[in-house]
This record gives sequence, C-alpha cells and structure tokens, in this order.
Amino acid sequence: MEQRQICSEKIEEDKNHMRSKNNGKDFCIFALPGLFCFIAVVIVPFVYGVYLTMTDWNGVSAVKNFVGLKNFAGVMKDTQFWTSLLLTFKYVIFVVVIVNVMAFGIAYLLTRGMKGQNFFRAGFFTPNLIGGIVLGYIWQFVFSRAFVSIGESTGWSLFEVSWLSDPTKAFAALVLVSVWQLSGYMILIYVAGFMGLSEDVMEAASIDGASGWTKMRSIVMPLMMSSVTICLFLTLSRAFMVYDVNLSLTAGAPYGTTEMAAMHVYEKAFTSRQFGVGQAEALILFVIVACISGLQVYLTKKKEVEA
Amino acid sequence: MRGKGCKGIALALILVLMSGMLTGCRFGFASDPDDPNEEVKEEPIDTSVDTFEYDSSLSGTNITLLNSKAEIQVALGKMGEEFEKKSGVHVEVMPVTDGDSPYTKVVSLYNSGNPPTMSILDTTDVIALAEEKAADLSEEAWIAEAENYLTEVNGKVYSLPLCIEGRGIIYNKAVIEETLGETFDPESITTLDEFTEFLEKLKKAGMEKPVSMAKEDWSLGAHHLQFVYETYDGTSEGAQKVIEQIKSGKMDLHSYNRMQEFLDMFDVLKEYNVAKGDPLGADYDEMAIDLADGKTAFWFNGNWAWPNLSEAGADNEDAYGFLPYFLNDDPDDFANQKIQGSPSKQVMVDGQFASEQEQAAAKEFLNWIVFSEIGQQMMVKTCNLIPPFQNNPYEPGDPLSRDIYEKVHADKAFNASAIVPNDHWAVLGAAMQKYLADRSDKEELIDSVQGYWDEQE
Repeated sequence: MEQRQICSEKIEEDKNHMRSKNNGKDFCIFALPGLFCFIAVVIVPFVYGVYLTMTDWNGVSAVKNFVGLKNFAGVMKDTQFWTSLLLTFKYVIFVVVIVNVMAFGIAYLLTRGMKGQNFFRAGFFTPNLIGGIVLGYIWQFVFSRAFVSIGESTGWSLFEVSWLSDPTKAFAALVLVSVWQLSGYMILIYVAGFMGLSEDVMEAASIDGASGWTKMRSIVMPLMMSSVTICLFLTLSRAFMVYDVNLSLTAGAPYGTTEMAAMHVYEKAFTSRQFGVGQAEALILFVIVACISGLQVYLTKKKEVEA
Repeated sequence: MRGKGCKGIALALILVLMSGMLTGCRFGFASDPDDPNEEVKEEPIDTSVDTFEYDSSLSGTNITLLNSKAEIQVALGKMGEEFEKKSGVHVEVMPVTDGDSPYTKVVSLYNSGNPPTMSILDTTDVIALAEEKAADLSEEAWIAEAENYLTEVNGKVYSLPLCIEGRGIIYNKAVIEETLGETFDPESITTLDEFTEFLEKLKKAGMEKPVSMAKEDWSLGAHHLQFVYETYDGTSEGAQKVIEQIKSGKMDLHSYNRMQEFLDMFDVLKEYNVAKGDPLGADYDEMAIDLADGKTAFWFNGNWAWPNLSEAGADNEDAYGFLPYFLNDDPDDFANQKIQGSPSKQVMVDGQFASEQEQAAAKEFLNWIVFSEIGQQMMVKTCNLIPPFQNNPYEPGDPLSRDIYEKVHADKAFNASAIVPNDHWAVLGAAMQKYLADRSDKEELIDSVQGYWDEQE
C-alpha cells in the first residue's frame, strides 16, 4: 500500500518534472524571441526614458547631469502643456463618442442585408488605409481651398473663410477628419461583432416579445460588449496619442490653439530642445492614458456576457 | 438586380468624379506649373580649366554630406559627381526628408554613432553642436575669402558659410508699371510714408490689395519679427547685444523704438494684405502665383522664394527685386536704405567620429567649392546660390539672387542675423499669427515677446 503510494508520488513528480522541463523548452522556443524584442524595443527605451526625465540632457551632449525632479517642476510651469492637455481631453471626448456612435450605427445598418452593403463596408474602411500625414494634407486642401471656393460661389458664411484659420473651426476640422479616418476601422470591428450574434438568441428574444429598443438594450448591447471594449480602447488610445493628423492638418495653427499634447511634447523636446522636460511630459501623458484606458477596459469587461 | 445596383453605383461615381473635375479647375493654377513643353534651362559648366591641386592620397575615400537645403539636393549630387571625377573622393549627399528638422536628423545620426562627415545646417544649429562635435576649421584657406561672413564660437570657426540669403519686400516691376502706366524706380521709395503712399497709388489704379504676406510661423516669427533685433545697428553683434539686454530686463521692449517701428511697418503690410479678410487662410503657393500673374505687386519673402515664383511662371529675364523693410520716415536710416542679407546655411565637418582621412577629404571638398574654377561655377550656376566668397567671379542667374548679389556688392545690404533660441520662430510665430489675425493688440504681442525672453535662462 505504502509502496504504491510512493510509486504514484514518484510518477507525479516525474510528470511534474517533465512538464516543467518541456515548459522551459517551449518557453525558450516560442516566447523568448518575442520577449527579447519586447524588452529591447519597449521596456529598455521606456526605462531609459524615465531615467532621462531626471537629467538635463539636451539630446547632443556627452554628459548628462542628474537633476532629480527639476524637469517635473518645469512641466508644472509649462502652461502651454496643460492647455494642450485640456484640449486633448476635449478632442478625445468628441472623437471617442462620435466615432463609436457612428460606427455602431453604420455597422448595424450594414449587417441588415441591405443592398450593396459589401461595397459600403469597403468604402467606409478606405480612409483608414490612407496614412495620417497624407490624409492631413488632403483635408488641408479641402478646408482651405475647396470649402472656401464653395463659400465664394454660394455665399454661405460657414465656408467663407478657411476653417483652419479659426480656432474653434480648426478644432472641429481636426475632429471631423479623425472621425472620418477612425470610423472605418471601428465599423469593421462592430460589423464582425454583429455578424457573430447568434440568430437563435435573436429569434428567442423575438418569440418572447422583445422588439426594437428592448431587444437592442437587453440582448444586442450586452452581447456586443466585447466589441465595444476593443473599439473604445482603440479609439481612446489613438485619440490621446494623435500626432500625424494634428501635424499635417493644422500643425497647431491658428497661433498654437490646436496643438495637442503629443505634438507639444515633440515640440518641447526637439524644437525647444528641452529633452528632460519633454520626456517628463511624455511620461505624464503615458500615465494618464494608461490609467484611463485601463479603467475603461476594466469597466466594460465587467459588462461583457456570454450568450 | 445586382447588376442594376452596380450600374447605379458606377454612374454615381462617374458623376462625383466629373463634378470634382469641373470644380477642380476653379482652384487650379492660373499658369500651369507642370508644363511638359517647358524646357529646364541649365547653364553649362565649363570644365576645361581646372587649376585646383588635388591630394592624390585622398583618392578612394568615402565621405557623406547631409543636406538640409532641399532645393539644391540634385545640384549637390552633381557637384559630388564632378568632384569625384577629379579627386577620386566619393561624396554621398543625404537629404533631410520633409518633415524632419535638420537638427533632429543630425542629432539622431550622432546618437546612433553614424554621423555625416559634413552637414549643411542653420547657423543656430552649428552653434549648438560646434564645440562638442565639429572639427576646427579656423586654419582653412577659405577663411580669408569670407571675411565678415564667418560664424565664430569662442574665437574659433567651425563652419563654412555656404551662401548668402536676403529678405525684404519682393516687387514685380512689370506688374507695377502696367498698373500705374509709368516706369517704376525702386530707389524712389525711401521711407515708410512713401511706401504707404505708393500702395495707396496702386490701390487707386485698381489693385485693391497689392501685398502678399505668408501666414507661416517661420515667416512671421523669424523673418518679420527678427528685424526688431537685426535693425538695432545692422550687425550680428548689435542683434546679440539687444537680445542680451531684453533678456536681462535692461531694455523694455515697450519703449524700444525699433519694436514700435517694426509694428508700424507690419501694420501697413497687414492693411494692404491681399488676404486681409482671412490672413491665416493665405496659401503660400498661391502667393507666388499672385505675384507672377500680377494680382499683387509685393510679397514679403527672401531669395529662396525664386523656385516658387519660377514654378508660377516667372522667368529669369523678368524684373523682380527687393525693397527694404521700411521702418520709419527717416530716409537716412540704414533700415530704409538696405535690405537684410547674411549667410544662412553653414557646412560643418564632423570632428568626433570621422577619421583623419575623411576629415581631410571633407576639407578638400570645401576648398574645392571655394577655389576651383569648377566648384565656383557649380556653386552659382548649378546650385543657384549666392556665395559669400570674394574670389568667386560668377553672378547668380535668377533676378532675386542677382538683386541681392548686386546689393551686397553696392553696400545696399546689411549683414546681421540674430542668433535666437531654436523655438523662437515657433513660439513667437504663433503670437505674430494672433496679431496678424487681429486677435491680439500691440500690447499683448509685445508682452508675449518680452515673456518669451524672460523665460530663457
């Protein structure tokens, strides 16, 4: 009896041993290359970046003096950074809400079997294939030439002057272009979500007498929550980190009123040549984005259900 | 059913495209910049005479040149080829791509341990890098030929001044004469009052708004605003002095007369701006077209605007030139007599990573562009630059460069360039834009300039 127990224990032990041995090998084969790359291009630069926030490096000199938290004091004094951060929040709210509402709505329409829906799906996705810089320049032309031209021939005061020369309208232009670009991608995800909805559940809901708004609220929405999680996360992080469209469409114009946080960080580091302060601002921006998107994922994940 | 739908979509697409084409011509170009029949005239280079002494031991060396002056990229490549034919040194010309700042590019190359042997940079960038990275060029032979155009850092020269660039009010003589019906003598305007009167005359003759001014922050923040420092006494030292005084608080910008005078001139330009209704919506390319086509008579810019004008249809034979940036009504004030012209791009040789051999080859290349017959010609004819070297006998081909060249030689240009922090143009460019758009007043603008300097350490 005892013998058998010892025996089985031994087998257990061997199994464990083998598993861990195999796991080690598997880990080396599959995860190590990826881990190495991840550490080399993400973790190391990140840690180095944090270190740079505590130096007075100007990007060129061989010596870096340790200055402690002086750069963070510099961030506090940089009023333009806080203005641009506030503007970024405003921008994020507009973009995230409009993109998701629109994408959800359009995806809903495009999965109801309407005529030419594949054409429209492809059409809405196209803007996403154009790079941000190019897109910005194209729209710059539209806002400052095409719109003005329309304004001249129709006399509509809305188009009389270039949208990019007025702070409010330039901001609206930024939101508009970002929505135009981001929606396509989100539509794609929502379409996939809608297609994955089980017909059985829908039918059962109909038989139970649910229709219209009730069905949407109690059946469709909970089942779509996983798509919502992804889309919200993507739009949030992309909107917070916006740079390319900002640079090519307005470049902060008119008079620096549309300069978003990411662009301000770049300007601080490279144009004003204050690497430490710029890097400290980047770190603050990172913490804010990480907290907000982490919170969002946590909250929306909680609402996800399985059919 | 499906076929019908597709047809409908195709039809709609065609309609959209067609309407696009129809409206397209409305904001198209007045004179076609891409005319395939237009021949690109290039002045031939005479390579028969070459008395330059090449160091044969350098043959086979490879050196690199980082170019931050996009418009001479092709020309520099040709120069490199010609130099290689003669000396055996291979020069690879690397461009700074659009959207990259030259400084960022050169710094990232240094940080990756692979910097260019030579870099063409702005003066401020050279000063920032000189002592740490650059080779000392104080003993070079060309120093003697570039008197007054050298940039010294603590008594040493680290860079070769590549070209002189000047800025002022560009005029189109033919258009002015056509509008007024009389000959135009640019020398006849000597004060701000006379300039304003002249603009009024053009207005009465039918040209409602005769001036173009760019809304770009580099134009407003650097090219306009820096007159405040550069006209202190018309020298770079004077500009430096006034900056130090503003920085230390010894000088109050509100009572500095050049600041007020500058704003007087700026207000005049603003008043007669062709884009007065929407000054921040003005389009740079359109300004060149407007001036070439005669919609406007003046454009505040520098000789680097020639490629744009040329693309807009202006010819080398046309009469374009510069008026000074008038500051007041005193005809004896140098600011009303002379235009600003100073070296803008500098060539720096790497002294940190480049080997002795490479540095020697780079120095030979610099001597070659200054002293060899071929290099001299190519500087002027191929690159279309105004060389700051007295021994270069060639005259530039385009009217703007020619005008600056002549003014420099007739003592009608003042050589002053203010060395300001790198973000001066960006930060104060925004403040100037605000003023240009009438969203701030003079007081607020001066306060932002003062505030900017107060923040500098």
